[in-house]
Amino acid sequence: MAGIVGLLAFDKVWNISRFLYYSMIGLQHRGYASSGVVMLNQEMRSVTRDVSPEDLEFQLEGWAGIGYTGSRRGYPIHNDEVAIVVDGVLREPENFLKTFARDRERALEEAKGAFSLIAMTRDGEIVGYRDETGVRPLSLGGFGFDMGIIASEPVAMSVIGGDFRREVMPGEMVTISSLNVKSTQIKEPRKAYCSIEYVYQARIDSVVNESNVYETRVRIGEQLAEEKPIEADTVIGVPDTALPFAVGYSRKLGLQLDLGFTRTGSPIRTMLASDSFLKIVGVQLKLNPIKSAVFGKRVVLIDDSMVTGTTLKNTIMSLRRLGAKEVHVLIGSPKLISACPYGIEVPEDKELIAANLSEEEIAKVLGADSIHWLSLEGLSRAISKSTLCTGCMTKRYPKVI
Amino acid sequence: MKVLLVGDGAREHAMAEALASSPQGYRVYALSSYVNPGIREAVNRTGGEYTQGNINSREEVAKAIKRFNPDFGVVGPEDPLFHGVADEFRKNGIPVVGPNMAGAEIERSKVWMRQLMWKYRIDGRLRFRSFTSLEEASRFIVEYGGSVAVKPAEQVGGKGVKVVADIQAYLSNEKRRALSKSVDEIGSLVKNEVKIIIEEKVDGPEYTLHVLTDGHTFLPLPLAQDYKHAYQDGIGPETGGMGSVSGPGRLLPFINEEEYEKTLKIVQDTARAIGQETGESYRGFISGQMMLTELWGPTVIEFYSRMGDPETSAIIPRITSDFGYLLQLTAEERLTQAKLEVRMEPSVVRAVAPLGYPLRRDMATGKEISLDVKAMREKGCLVYFGSISYEGGKLVTKGSRALELVALGDFEESSRKLDGCIKMISANTELVYRTDIGRTLGEQVEKAEIVRYSYQNRIRRNSLGVSADWAPNGGLW
Ligand SMILES: Nc1ncnc2c1ncn2[C@@H]1O[C@H](COP(=O)(O)OP(=O)(O)OP(=O)(O)O)[C@@H](O)[C@H]1O
Ligand code: SF4
Ligand SMILES: [Mg+2]
Repeated sequence: MAGIVGLLAFDKVWNISRFLYYSMIGLQHRGYASSGVVMLNQEMRSVTRDVSPEDLEFQLEGWAGIGYTGSRRGYPIHNDEVAIVVDGVLREPENFLKTFARDRERALEEAKGAFSLIAMTRDGEIVGYRDETGVRPLSLGGFGFDMGIIASEPVAMSVIGGDFRREVMPGEMVTISSLNVKSTQIKEPRKAYCSIEYVYQARIDSVVNESNVYETRVRIGEQLAEEKPIEADTVIGVPDTALPFAVGYSRKLGLQLDLGFTRTGSPIRTMLASDSFLKIVGVQLKLNPIKSAVFGKRVVLIDDSMVTGTTLKNTIMSLRRLGAKEVHVLIGSPKLISACPYGIEVPEDKELIAANLSEEEIAKVLGADSIHWLSLEGLSRAISKSTLCTGCMTKRYPKVI
Repeated sequence: MKVLLVGDGAREHAMAEALASSPQGYRVYALSSYVNPGIREAVNRTGGEYTQGNINSREEVAKAIKRFNPDFGVVGPEDPLFHGVADEFRKNGIPVVGPNMAGAEIERSKVWMRQLMWKYRIDGRLRFRSFTSLEEASRFIVEYGGSVAVKPAEQVGGKGVKVVADIQAYLSNEKRRALSKSVDEIGSLVKNEVKIIIEEKVDGPEYTLHVLTDGHTFLPLPLAQDYKHAYQDGIGPETGGMGSVSGPGRLLPFINEEEYEKTLKIVQDTARAIGQETGESYRGFISGQMMLTELWGPTVIEFYSRMGDPETSAIIPRITSDFGYLLQLTAEERLTQAKLEVRMEPSVVRAVAPLGYPLRRDMATGKEISLDVKAMREKGCLVYFGSISYEGGKLVTKGSRALELVALGDFEESSRKLDGCIKMISANTELVYRTDIGRTLGEQVEKAEIVRYSYQNRIRRNSLGVSADWAPNGGLW
């Protein structure tokens, strides 16, 4: 998974390197193991390293550029003519580059994968394309009279003082140059928005897939309350993604809401940490429970998803150590039972606890008093869209690649 | 009756059309710097005459007056006003729509405008500083580093304004550097001693109120909104305007009656202040280019001494009473007799420019466009010709916005009509236009709602218009 951004200043007096830098930091919640940029001045120059964008140092100058922050190595990729960054899965990127340089529409028509991409050409165009499923987000904005911006999420624009204009539509190509902004529909949309974007991938302050993320997550919390009302003394959410779930749940049932955790260090999503030791130490280091929020109480703990369950197990254990009388677990997404072929790092079946154990067994492993996942119907009701991808929850995938 | 129209753009075409179709049966004479196909048609239809020359030259205008002996005149664009073309009409005893040079100063000098507003304590004024030296201006920007608008101290053809928000402190060095660089560029465009004006930056939806005055009576027209960004979806460099909307009624969906009245008062107060300052009453159009802000509610960005372009194309087709006659009444200082009737339904205007506008005018010049005006009218679109000339049966672009297409009807319906009509234009270059105009009113309504909370709160706290900046070395500003 990745955050991608492209920026172009209409006037060459601008050096956009810091703008690019900060907008990438704005997107690093989408993945941060590797990051890189290509900047355009007379020619294209690139820097790519296996560090988060915060730690990516680059001294390049230029009036246009593209940036990547994500879990794959080696982006941006480029040849003399074109550079691209991709969120999602694009097969044979080198071939794609070659075709794209000659005939971009054909390249996009023939491209294999499921993705959003941003390309920059040597003659000063930024091209954004979102495949016909729209499975990965992409949006369009500007900065005053000075720049055009294409990015995974609006936050890449707002952190630098720019304005979000609209989402790029599935199948649409948007081209920004100093002389025009153009939109071309390359393919008929066959919308299949990624459910996981709503549940935890996108930022709470974002607008993605035609929805306001915060509102959607509050609705998921309310939906959980309908499906599984629990008699409890307090509701807490795992920061940051699951907080709006807790807000919606407590509001609906008139239960007290508490801030159950405080954070140590920078927000690193534990689900993504590959080393399981890091995962265990990581979460304890990062999320410290607050004793007086849970002491002597029956607690509803809400999280966004469950992969191996390790993180939750540890969290529940520490809540109990601090005096929680009961811990009921609610998950703001349906069970993850299968891998994602479209670039979100949902592990394979054998690593997914929900794909292997029954609910009862899982509750036992976690040490929870009860556990409940959001139902599939509940998910689509909360998102209020029928054009969703739910592949990792149903094994029914909208696009074969 | 004979009327002499000075100017050559889409605005003048719309005016020529209004005059030509007036029941008063005017004969339209015109002076343009090139042959505008639309004005040409209006002139021919009414049995007038069309002459080419420098519209900014008092001598050439005097010659045209002598030659055509008009009963009244209409000056469309600002540049001739700045050069005293309206004065020339009046000197020859011809009533005219358009202020004298002294009055047109309200548009020509942004510094004079702001000083006037402060001197007469007119609402909707912004804090500003003016600079004779570019270094000083750059230093000021670096020192205060807040959100500012940097402009040339005078009108230099709608170019050079830089607006930068600086809420994100960590970026301020980059922004300041780009700004100071462009200060040099802006300053080089200005001939006078005072080069640069820096204003506090405000935020909110923009709109324009055009007011006709004959020096005694004020007649406000329906509001219009102009879209400044060059490209699709409100992205891109600043332009003279890539389109506009007007209505429904005399308002826009995001401006209420109270704000309309308040704006009218600001414009009237300003016209009277100009009268006091210059010793002669202001006659012609005075148009407030406004922004609804949290600081003031209606706030002045600048004044036009004429009608806005492309606002004109959105407004005139919505007027069902005789607009041509309105112009005559204004010129003859009989505006009390005027009546104005406006259609309820809104309008949407979409400008069409050749690729290259606004950053590479050379690319946008000398291209050929062809279209079938009649067929487009059947599809519900009016066409006004702008920066395009009639040369030996061909339509040749002049580097700016070549056409303005207008459709009437609710915003979405109008936009759809325009989508259809744009396809009927062919050209030997790519065309630049915006399909989002008329489709983002919802966003403007929300923006207005947000600033309305704050400025109404200011009214309650009695702090309308109060703001300040501070820097360690520069002190309070
Ligand atoms: N103080 C300000 N705060 C925020 N935005 C501003 C300010 N002043 C100007 N702007 C923005 O810049 C645009 C151009 O400014 P202004 O109208 O003063 O310049 P201009 O060159 O005379 O333009 P034009 O004649 O094309 O209207 C305005 O429409 C507005 O969007
Ligand atoms: S499979 Fe799951 S994670 Fe992948 S795109 Fe579909 S919903 Fe999103
Ligand atoms: Mg202006």
